[in-house]
Amino acid sequence: MSFDFDAGKYAVYLWPAFGVSAVAFAWMIADSLAMARRWRRETERRQAELDELKS
Amino acid sequence: MDPRHPLDFLTNPERFMAFSRWAAPLLGGLSAIAGVLGLVLTFLVPEDYQQGDTVRMMFIHIPAASISLFIYVCLGIASFLALVFRQALADLAAQACAPIGAVYTVLALVTGALWGKPMWGAWWVWDARLTSVLVLLLFYLGYMALRGALDDEQKAARAAAILALVGLINLPIVKFSVEWWNTLHQGASTFGAKRGDGLPAIYAWPALLMGLAYLGAFGSLWLVRIRALIWRRKARSLAMKLAEGAR
Repeated sequence: MSFDFDAGKYAVYLWPAFGVSAVAFAWMIADSLAMARRWRRETERRQAELDELKS
Repeated sequence: MDPRHPLDFLTNPERFMAFSRWAAPLLGGLSAIAGVLGLVLTFLVPEDYQQGDTVRMMFIHIPAASISLFIYVCLGIASFLALVFRQALADLAAQACAPIGAVYTVLALVTGALWGKPMWGAWWVWDARLTSVLVLLLFYLGYMALRGALDDEQKAARAAAILALVGLINLPIVKFSVEWWNTLHQGASTFGAKRGDGLPAIYAWPALLMGLAYLGAFGSLWLVRIRALIWRRKARSLAMKLAEGAR
C-alpha cells in the first residue's frame, strides 16, 4: 500500500474540500481559544480592580 | 464522604471549570491523533471502482454531516434543561455549541456540493436530504441571530431555546429523508445501512477514525467555548460590582 495523492481529474473537487475543512477547523480552534483567553484576562483584570477598590 | 453528585460538574460552574481544564485538551489531543491516523488511511485506501478518488471526500463529508446532527441534539437537550429547569450552565452550553454546529453544517453542505458536482453533475439539487440539511443550518443561524438580536439576555435565551426545541423536528426529517422520499442523495451507508449497501470494510477504518476526530474536536471546542462564556458572565458580574463600588 502506498499514499495516493494523485486525484487526477477529480483533484479540482477533492483538494478544495479538504482545504475548506482545514481552514474551518483552524478558524474554530483559533476563535474558541481567543475568546476564552480574552474573557479570562478580562475577568482577572476586573477582579484585580475590585480587589484594589476594596483595599 | 463527598456528598456531591458525580455529575455535579454539569451544573456547578466551579466544578465544570475544574473538569474542563483537563478534559478539553485531552479531547483535543485524542481528536488530533484520530485525525492524523484517519487522514493517513484516507490517502492509503484504494480509489473506488465507480467514484474514483472522490470516494476520499466521504471521510470528511460524512463526519461533518453526522456530527452536525449530533450537535443539534446537544443544543436541544441543553436548551430544554435551560428552559425547563433554569440551568444557567445548560444555557451557556447551548449558546456555545450553536456556532460549532453551524460550521459543521456548512462543511457538510460545501463538501457535499464538491462531491455532488463530479458524481451527479450538479453542485446542488433541491432534494429532501440537501434541503433538510439547509434547514438545519438555518435553525443554527436563527438561534444565533435570536440570541444576538434582543438586549434582554434572559428573554433572548428563552426565545432561542424555544426555537432550538422547534428545530428538533427537523432531525428525523434529515435522517430519514432518504427513505421517506425519492432523493438523488444516496441512502444510509454506515449506521442503518441495508445489507449490500454498507461501507466496504477497507473504508470503515478511515471513516471511523475521522468520525472520532470530528466528534472529539467538537467536544474539545465546546468545552473551551463554555469556559469562555463562564468567564464572560463572571467578568460582567464583576463590572456591575465595580460600577456599584465606584458610586
